[in-house]
Amino acid sequence: MSATATNRIQKRMLVRERLTLRRLSVTLVVLLVVLLLFAVIALTVGSERIGLDAILRIIVSELTGGRADTPAEQVSIITDIRLPRVLMAVVVGAALSVAGAAFQALLRNPLADPGILGISSGSALGAIAATIFAESIPVSRPIAAFIGALITMGIVYFIGQGRRGGSTERLILAGVIVNAFLSSIVIYLLTAASGPRLRSVFSWLIGDLGGEPDLLPVAAALVALGIIIIFINSRGLNLLMTGEQEALALGVEVKRVQIAVYIAASLITGAGVAAGGAIGFVGLIIPHAVRLAGGSDNRLVIPGSALGGGAFLLFADTIARTVIAPLEIHIGVITAFIGAPVFVYLLRRTS
Amino acid sequence: MLEVREVRFGYAEPVLKGISFGVSNKELLVVLGPNGSGKSTLLKIIVRVLKPESGSVMIDGRDVLTMPRRQTARLIGYVAQESPQRFPLTAMEYVLQGRFAQGRLIGFESDEDVREASRALEMTETAEFATRYVGELSGGERQRVMLARALASRPRLLVLDEPVANLDISHQVKMLDLVKELTHAADISAIVVTHELNLAAEFAARTMLMKSGEVLAIGEPREVLTEERLRTLYGTDLLVDQNPVSGAPRITICKIGAEDQGKENLKSQI
Repeated sequence: MSATATNRIQKRMLVRERLTLRRLSVTLVVLLVVLLLFAVIALTVGSERIGLDAILRIIVSELTGGRADTPAEQVSIITDIRLPRVLMAVVVGAALSVAGAAFQALLRNPLADPGILGISSGSALGAIAATIFAESIPVSRPIAAFIGALITMGIVYFIGQGRRGGSTERLILAGVIVNAFLSSIVIYLLTAASGPRLRSVFSWLIGDLGGEPDLLPVAAALVALGIIIIFINSRGLNLLMTGEQEALALGVEVKRVQIAVYIAASLITGAGVAAGGAIGFVGLIIPHAVRLAGGSDNRLVIPGSALGGGAFLLFADTIARTVIAPLEIHIGVITAFIGAPVFVYLLRRTS
Repeated sequence: MLEVREVRFGYAEPVLKGISFGVSNKELLVVLGPNGSGKSTLLKIIVRVLKPESGSVMIDGRDVLTMPRRQTARLIGYVAQESPQRFPLTAMEYVLQGRFAQGRLIGFESDEDVREASRALEMTETAEFATRYVGELSGGERQRVMLARALASRPRLLVLDEPVANLDISHQVKMLDLVKELTHAADISAIVVTHELNLAAEFAARTMLMKSGEVLAIGEPREVLTEERLRTLYGTDLLVDQNPVSGAPRITICKIGAEDQGKENLKSQI
């Protein structure tokens, strides 16, 4: 092959002019394959190793309603324990990553995420209040977490609106302040709590994918809805990302896009945190990595973060439950342990 | 072509106090005035970033302020004052944003969008940067890419807010040459805000001087940019004579006088 031909091929591979449908499809297929691979690994490993063929037979028979010729114990491990957990990891990972990507574009700040805006704290406060005052507050923990996220979102948005309308800086500042305030209440409540309740709240605070399996269908539905809403607005988000005023002049109905994306992102944060706890770093790292690999176009970043975030949490969760088995590490420990160095690397590479 | 009538705008204090003026077909109007005289605000109202308290903005007899936003975007190309880009975006991606108002809300740019974006890049001689990140370009290159985005929708009117603010003198001339050429060749009118009095005098068909939210004077540069008027407006000693090459008004700063005055002020304060 001649040098120029090689050159041309290299150019086509590496140089990115814009996002095309082809590039989007290829990237998403790759991410999907990675996700499925991690899912298979997560299903096979654990206290009891279950072979790939057995897993396939169990899933097929579950789907077709037939009976698998595998031991009942294995069927139960897969369908009752591992599969829900795999799905939970995917849903929560997708939720937190897409929420991060959406807030970053919305606030024109690559370092924004649900944690910084205080929405995770609001959610945590709701959940902790429901756990500690279980006798007097008649709502379940996930619902309380969800309500906490939505109320916090409202408060942050209200503070962020100045007399001349809001600015992204004001909104971030409002988030930081609300976050600090809510964290102090959370810590106070933790000091006041004791015994098994403290333990359950604590594990939820760091992140716990095994805690609320009943919540999976609702969380999955809400997260899917939110991601679709954000994805529909991704062209508008692209323009908003380069400047609010310019987006207006280029024909974007800015207020409409902002409100839709803000509500949808808060919704999926609430659903994600309610289901899996306040897992950090996912919303920061995954969108960043997707942008590095495929560019800043949100038509890629949003679905890419959904798949990438799902894969990442799946990976982290598998490590969390196997490394020191039979004990489990909290998944938030793993995400921070992997996430922080990766983040430093990304930061150094981009600047 | 553009008709601005009695536009008023203000927060606590009025910023624009009933501005009226027009721009005719293929005309380049340069808006001048001290900081805070309302130039940028005026542009933002024309491109509908800000909503005026009262008044109207018409293009070819159609009311810009009440039509759907996407329709305004197709008629007017806007280049805002430069702001930092925090996300890596290639020049092609950036210029394609100018096609937002033409394209579908969901989905991908059409072949026509890509053609028009490439055309805009070529018009501003930035086609070679298509795959480069906007943030990595030099000031002059980036300013031209920003202009390309405004051109990508084939607008009737260009609205440029300080397009030469960060450019060296050669790029300043090139930029305004390009805008002037566009108004001749591409059937586009342009409004340009700048602080460069001499460039305005050289390139503008007409200039408009603004003073605290009002039009102080509008007309040909030689009628508008008079020594007496500029001295009072800017409160600085200026000499206005004729550019020996072009015959346009030439504005010279009388620095010695200004310095003396500064010293006097200092003395009186001490």
